[in-house]
Formats: sequence, structure tokens, C-alpha cells
Amino acid sequence: MPEEKDESLQDLRRAIFEYDRESAARSAELSLERGIDPLIALNVMTEAIREVGEAFGRGDLWLPDLVGASEAMQGAVPLLEEEIRKRGVERKSLGTVVAGTVFGDIHSIGKTMVTTLLTAAGFRVVDLGINVTAERFLIAVREQKADLLVMSALMTTTCAEQEKVIAALKKQGIREKVKVMVGGAAVTEEFKDSIGADGYDPTAPGAVGLAKRLVGKL
Amino acid sequence: MVRSKSCLGKLERINSTLSHREADRVPVSDFFWGSFLERWREELGLPADTDIYRYYDLDWIVTIPNMDPHIKRFEVLGQNDEEVVVRTGFEAVIRKKFRAPMPEYVEFDTNTIDKMKAFRFDDPWDDRRYLRRGDNQVAGVGDSFIRDLPPWTETVKFLYPEFPVYGSVCEGHESLWRIIGMENVLLWIGLYPDEVGKFVDRIYEFVLGITEAQIKAADGLLDGMVIWGDVAYTRDLLFSPDYWRKYFKPGVKAIVDLCHKNSLPVIYHGCGNVQRIFEDYIEIGVDAYNPLEAKAGLDVVDLRRKYGHRIGFCGNMDVMAWADSSLDELEKIVLTKLNAAKGGGYIFQSDHSVPSNVSGKNYDYVVNLLRQHGTYPLDLGEYDIPEIF
Repeated sequence: MPEEKDESLQDLRRAIFEYDRESAARSAELSLERGIDPLIALNVMTEAIREVGEAFGRGDLWLPDLVGASEAMQGAVPLLEEEIRKRGVERKSLGTVVAGTVFGDIHSIGKTMVTTLLTAAGFRVVDLGINVTAERFLIAVREQKADLLVMSALMTTTCAEQEKVIAALKKQGIREKVKVMVGGAAVTEEFKDSIGADGYDPTAPGAVGLAKRLVGKL
Repeated sequence: MVRSKSCLGKLERINSTLSHREADRVPVSDFFWGSFLERWREELGLPADTDIYRYYDLDWIVTIPNMDPHIKRFEVLGQNDEEVVVRTGFEAVIRKKFRAPMPEYVEFDTNTIDKMKAFRFDDPWDDRRYLRRGDNQVAGVGDSFIRDLPPWTETVKFLYPEFPVYGSVCEGHESLWRIIGMENVLLWIGLYPDEVGKFVDRIYEFVLGITEAQIKAADGLLDGMVIWGDVAYTRDLLFSPDYWRKYFKPGVKAIVDLCHKNSLPVIYHGCGNVQRIFEDYIEIGVDAYNPLEAKAGLDVVDLRRKYGHRIGFCGNMDVMAWADSSLDELEKIVLTKLNAAKGGGYIFQSDHSVPSNVSGKNYDYVVNLLRQHGTYPLDLGEYDIPEIF
């Protein structure tokens, strides 16, 4: 039987759609016990997340569904990634993304949606969380050798932080090494241009396509 | 208590507007960030204690009683010159950095479904909420950090002579996320929809009590009620409209009905794009919707075109345009928006709250524009849209 048809992977996929973190963890563990390639198991999950993301983009599913599916996936990802590391296999990714909500801003939903869909799309995502200072962004971009920096700011009073981070990247001489995507309710195409960012999209699904274009994978 | 002639004029203005009658002029007010107020005072050369509501004689003001589920002083978990960390009566731990505009919610004690089920509410009729000094999260931890607020009834009495005074209440979701956190709202609605729904029912029992109790405590001094109720983000609702209709709409309707029974109009404050349920708000009798965020794609002229005078509007002046536009551009924007005020039904305000990106000069200019062009009968010149009436 092809690995993809294995019952444990079917259960893993179902766990994503049922937002069942524990079931996802159990199914991932079982799949490894049955000798299934962890990369295949990871792909099954990211494909499921992609479907949820597409349904969300169409308006058929809602944020709780996206959050629930993402949460379920987190039940299995550490296990599978640990196995991948043990085997010394390099997981192909579209690129490394450092993401966060800027300093002074604590909104995370938009960022979480984008990082979930970027993970599903095949990016390696390092999520710094909320209220992230320019210095923390810089350190992470450098240490992670990020291909893409994704910054979210919901408010007019905080989107100026995105410009500060870009200025800091320039000052450190690493601006040209990373593409910068900005987003959040207060951000517009004009604002993106005015601060010298590389990309902006008002929707989470659109941001994924943009991310792929920015790293040259589309 | 005696009200000033100006205040009586404002009350007539607001009430006529909300009844879709043209008053003497279009009402104007707003919510302001502290950092904007500092900038405004500095740029206009005003004393540090200048009150913007009095300076521009704005048309209405909202007050916030203690809606914390647990009536208690903030527990200070840490403090220095730069920040304070407190646990509030929502049992949320909040970090407020004094130079950052928003507080950070660090954690929520109610972090399991069992804790949510076991959560209890203090008496909404407890007079400490309305008649005693104290701490409360909604009024005390936000843009600023304020402890030991004066008794809410004293605030109402202080404002009553000069302004139409509105009380306020958090509806189901605004209370829910403050108790369990936004991440768990979304996760648990997906995982435990009925359990969350049952908790929302209990929340509504509590907030209906808050609504009725504050009306009673104010003893006739309230002129209206604001329902704080974010259920959407820029693109859409936070959760499905079916879920909102099943578990949240009945409670909002109950609050609206209670307010109307007490002759209080209701302004509903809900950020984001709520177009999927806008008809529902009309159906349950909300008198005006606020803030109508431009960044969520809302435009008050389009809304007037679509909904006519079935509901009032309050807000929609894009703060980003307010900050970045030239004075000529501002004139075009403002006069165009005033089309929504034909036949009453529109209170001019920002599309959420006025931030410090907006200069004092630009704010001042717009308010003066409204005084000049917002008098009825409206003369909007080249910006008049004849099919809007």
C-alpha cells in the first residue's frame, strides 16, 4: 500500500479537519511506528491546512476553523520535525520566514493566519509573537538567515514601527538580503511603498501567493 | 440637576439625529488616544488640562462603569518606571508599557474549558460598581493606566450639565475574550462550540444585569447606551454568522430592548467588517452603528445608499486620511461624507478613535469644517450626491 494511503495518515488528516490536537499527535506517532517517512506525514498535514486555508479564503470556513486546524497541526509537528532531524534529512522549504507583530501592538490573529498558511504552503516559519522590537526582528533575521520578514501592525499608531525595522535592516547592512512583507489593518499599498517594504496584501491567502513571488518560488 | 442651554441643544441634536430628523447641525464627537490629545494641546498651544470635549463643545460623551466580573483592586504583579503588570477583575494579567499605546494581555487565568465552565460572576447590582471608587479593567487599562477611578455615578453627574451622557456595556464577545483570551475564543468556538455558547449565555445574564443596574444607579441621568461589541476584523466576522446569531445576537437584542424600554437609544460599537450581519443589527433595533472602519472597506455614503434610514451611522472618518491628507483633500472627504447626514441619522466621528498621527491642525480644521458646512439645510456644493437623501 502506498504510504499516503496508510490508515495512520488518514487519521492524521482527519485530526486536522476535526481540530483534534491529541489525535494528530497519536496519529503522527503511529505513522512513525509504522515506518512512514515523516516528510510524507508532514505533507499530509500541510495539504489539509492548505484545504482549510482555501475554504477560509472562499468564506466557507472561519477563523476558529483555521485556528483549530493550526492548533491540531501543532500537536504533531514537533514529533515529526524531531524525527526528520534524527534522520538527518533536510526538509525542503520554500524559504525561511521570520514573522511578528510590531512593538507596541498586541494583535496576533492576522499574523497567526498568515503564518499558518505560510507553513502550510511549505515555508519554514519562525514566529516571534507580538510586541516585537526592531532589535528582536533584526536578531532573528540574522540568526535564522531569513528569506522573508513578515510584519503585522493593526493600528495607525504602530505601523510606523515597520518603517523603523526596515531602517534598522539598512543600518545593519542586511536589507538587501531579506524581502520585507508588511500587513495589518492600518497598512496600505501606499504605506508599503512609502516605507520601502517589498510587499503588502490585505488578505492572508493573498499574502501566501505574494510570499512565494517575493522569494522567487512562483 | 440643571443642564446648560448648550447641553439641551446637544441633546436635541443627538436625539433628532438618531430619530432621522435633521437637527440644527450634524453632531460631532469622538474617542481620542491620549497621545493625540498631548499633540493637539501642544500644537494648538493649549494648556495641559484642556478638555477637548469642552473646547469643541462636542455633542456626546460615553462613560464606563465597573464591568469586571470580579470586583477587586488590581493586583500589582510588577512595576517600574516603564511598565506595570496587573491582574484585573477579569482574572487577566496585563502588561501596560507606559510609552506603548496598547496594553499587552500576558495571560488569562481562565485558560481551560473546565475553568471557563466554573467561572463565576460577582453581582452586577453590587453598588461598588457604580457608587464607589475603585479599579476596573475596561476604563483603567487601555491607552492609559488609571487606578482608583472615581465613583461612576459621580462621573455621570459631573458630565451631565454639559453633555449628553451615555452609559456603556460590553456585550458577549467583548466580555468573553477578556476572560479567556482571543486565541481561546477562536480555538474553543471551533472545539467546544456549545460549551462556549452556554458560557456566553451566562455572560449575557451578567451584562444584562450590568445594563439594568447602571440605568438604575444613574437615576435618570443617562441619555443613551453604548454597547461595546467587536465581533469582526478588517475582512470579515471573527466567527460564522450562524454562530453569532445563535449565541450572541439574542443577548444583544435583549440589551437593546432593555435600553429602549428605558427610553435610551443605543449606539453599537463594533470594529471591522460586519456587513454580513448588518441587517441583523437593524432588525434588533440598534439606533446607530459605530465606528464604521474605513480600513474595513466601509463607507458611510455607500451604507446610506444601501440601508437608507433604517439605521443611524456614527463614525467612518478615515483617520489615515485625516492624518495624511491636505486641507483641500480633507474638505472633499468631509463634505462627501456629509451626504450621509441628509435627513439626519449621521453623527460625524473618526472611524475608530483619533490617534497621534492626526495633527492638531488637521483635527481642528475638520471640526471647523463641520461647523461651517454641517448646518442644516446642508449645502455640499460640488460634493453633493443627489441620489442620497
